[in-house]
Amino acid sequence: MKQMTEVQLQELEQDLNTIRDEILADLGERDARYIRRVIRLHRALEVGGRVMMPFGLIPPVFVAATVSLGLSKIIENMEIGHNVMHGQYDWMNDPSLHSQTYEWDTACSSDSWRRTHNFEHHTYTNIIGKDRDYGYALLRLSDDEKWHPAHSLQFLNYILLSVFFQWGVSLHELEFERIRRGEIRLRDKLPFLKDFLRKGGRQAFKDYVFFPLITLPVAPIVLAGNLGANLMRNLWSSTVIFCGHFTQDAETFNAKDCENESKGHWYLRQLTGSSNFTGSKWVHLLSGHLSYQIEHHVFPDLPAHRYPEISDKVQAVCRKHGIGYNTGSFGHQYGTVVKRILTYSLPDRLRTKLIGQPT
Amino acid sequence: MLARNTQTNALHWLGKQLFNRNDPAAFFDPLLETLDPMLVQSQTPARVEQVIEETADTRTFVMKPAARWAGFQAGQHVNISVEINGVKHTRTFSLSSSPELWSTQGLVTLTIKRLPGGLVTNWLHDHLGQGQVLGLDEAFGDFLLPKTPQPVLFIAGGSGITPILSQLETMATRDFRAPVTLLYFVRTQRDVIAEERLKALASRYSALTLNIIATNENDKPRYLKSQDLKAVPGLKARRVFLCGPKGLMDLANELLHQQGVREKDIHSTFFSSATPALNADLADQVLGGKVQFGKSNLEASSEGDASLLEIAEASGLKPRHGCRMGICHQCSCRKTSGTVINRLTGKASGSGEESVQLCISIPHGPVTIDV
Repeated sequence: MKQMTEVQLQELEQDLNTIRDEILADLGERDARYIRRVIRLHRALEVGGRVMMPFGLIPPVFVAATVSLGLSKIIENMEIGHNVMHGQYDWMNDPSLHSQTYEWDTACSSDSWRRTHNFEHHTYTNIIGKDRDYGYALLRLSDDEKWHPAHSLQFLNYILLSVFFQWGVSLHELEFERIRRGEIRLRDKLPFLKDFLRKGGRQAFKDYVFFPLITLPVAPIVLAGNLGANLMRNLWSSTVIFCGHFTQDAETFNAKDCENESKGHWYLRQLTGSSNFTGSKWVHLLSGHLSYQIEHHVFPDLPAHRYPEISDKVQAVCRKHGIGYNTGSFGHQYGTVVKRILTYSLPDRLRTKLIGQPT
Repeated sequence: MLARNTQTNALHWLGKQLFNRNDPAAFFDPLLETLDPMLVQSQTPARVEQVIEETADTRTFVMKPAARWAGFQAGQHVNISVEINGVKHTRTFSLSSSPELWSTQGLVTLTIKRLPGGLVTNWLHDHLGQGQVLGLDEAFGDFLLPKTPQPVLFIAGGSGITPILSQLETMATRDFRAPVTLLYFVRTQRDVIAEERLKALASRYSALTLNIIATNENDKPRYLKSQDLKAVPGLKARRVFLCGPKGLMDLANELLHQQGVREKDIHSTFFSSATPALNADLADQVLGGKVQFGKSNLEASSEGDASLLEIAEASGLKPRHGCRMGICHQCSCRKTSGTVINRLTGKASGSGEESVQLCISIPHGPVTIDV
């Protein structure tokens, strides 16, 4: 990690605060109009997908319905749910867009998400041992974790995690690895499990029981379409999220370097631990603007559609302080993620022989 | 009836499962709104039918709420919501029309005065016109007429006349057979709200004695005095209804007690004027105040720059929180009244109901929060 003095860190903090304050002062009708437009798009796609699905006997209709429902889930999870829960629209004082009461269209309950993601991941970003999002306690992605023979098959785990991503995310708070190590007992997790069953059950009931049942003669088609839409969302959101922190140059941190850290140090960690990818307007919308992961991590509660317009300023601050700004095409960034998952599945001796010492 | 309720409950339960929200009907609002704003389900939509100029700074908005609105009793208030620059603002106003107008024509009126520096009242005057739709909640309030006729005294000041207009119309329509006196204080005769309506009422409803008093037409202000009360026949047997600015309310309460009117016969309804936004540095402000934790039924006091989160924790509460530095919004919750200062920006919040981050909000006077 780049070493900066407290004075430099204070200057970094001020520079970033200036960008943040400018946007905060400018929040208003434009942002409200934007999120409402996205919500209308989501409603139209969901209603359209659900209505078309029973007519899926005709193959093009099946594809259209599945894609429409899949896109609706992607937009709801990424651009609406995730961002609303970060408090990006709390200032609107609209009860249906409030961070603490919003419930999204995925198996993970919003309460669990707010604890594990908003608090743990965004506070302890990339601190090994404290940010459980780093590898999801399933993948070995850095030297900080000792190699174990089971890691050699971790690419398979990664594929499974992506396919069942909503269930992986919803079970994240169970902390299964800590139960296995005997640090906590399963019974401590009973309130969580109850919540998981309620929300997960609700989602499964909706997509895999209710909508197929009310269209009984074509139930298998509706079930298949709904599974397809969920799969589409799972693969896309998993891929986007993996590109946010596991690319080649995204840094990791030690817990002891971050004790009693200043806000400036926290900013530095967000800048160096996150990575962006480039793309069209639609790529940014569908990724909930997590394609601007760096901006998101520095300012998690600014409306995400503002990230593109502050990106230049954030890059200028990085240049000024000599901090790297990790970005690249989607293909390139994802390539380095896959490489990281694969190389760290190898024992250290073999890995260093193949690709040299880690820098 | 029971079957219908069960059916509604089952549908509501199903809606919650399908749309992940406690108000499933509102799921379609974003689409319905573009078709017709009157179809919105989250609040009761009400369309402005007419705007009447009452005085230089007061207007009456005649509105038609969607038919599902549950109606009201004379003297009640209602919360209305408007969106100003992307932010939803909710304010309480008295209904100034009689319930009969609602039951016969489906109309209600709100009579609203511009408050100097008031964001919402000024916006309503400048932007709310015929054909526009705003959100209405159900009516509430216990500023209600006695069920059986008994002598009544109304003391109103300025726009405090609004709930009393509704009550007088209702009394006249129902032929409320008991002496009724209205002492109405206005700055000057030009500031009389609904003058025509009041005069018409006085002429068709003989039980009503109307006394309009201008306070600021002479060099020396002419406020409420004991003689005004002594002139009201059978004062001690009357139910008294007070509505007006704080100064008038305090004075009226004091004089009424002197005249021997019992506490339980006095009904008050308050309205407060907007507090001008404070933008000075934290150091210049008197911080702290009494904090009411609404859900926990607890009260605590604070001095200095302790945040609401710290105050709650010192009181033994454990509100949900996360980073404690204003990032994660884990601790956001609803403030129902009072003003707080944002520790990060040094800026004061509004006085109404809104969401605040507990870890960076410092009370500025009394505050009530949903914790």
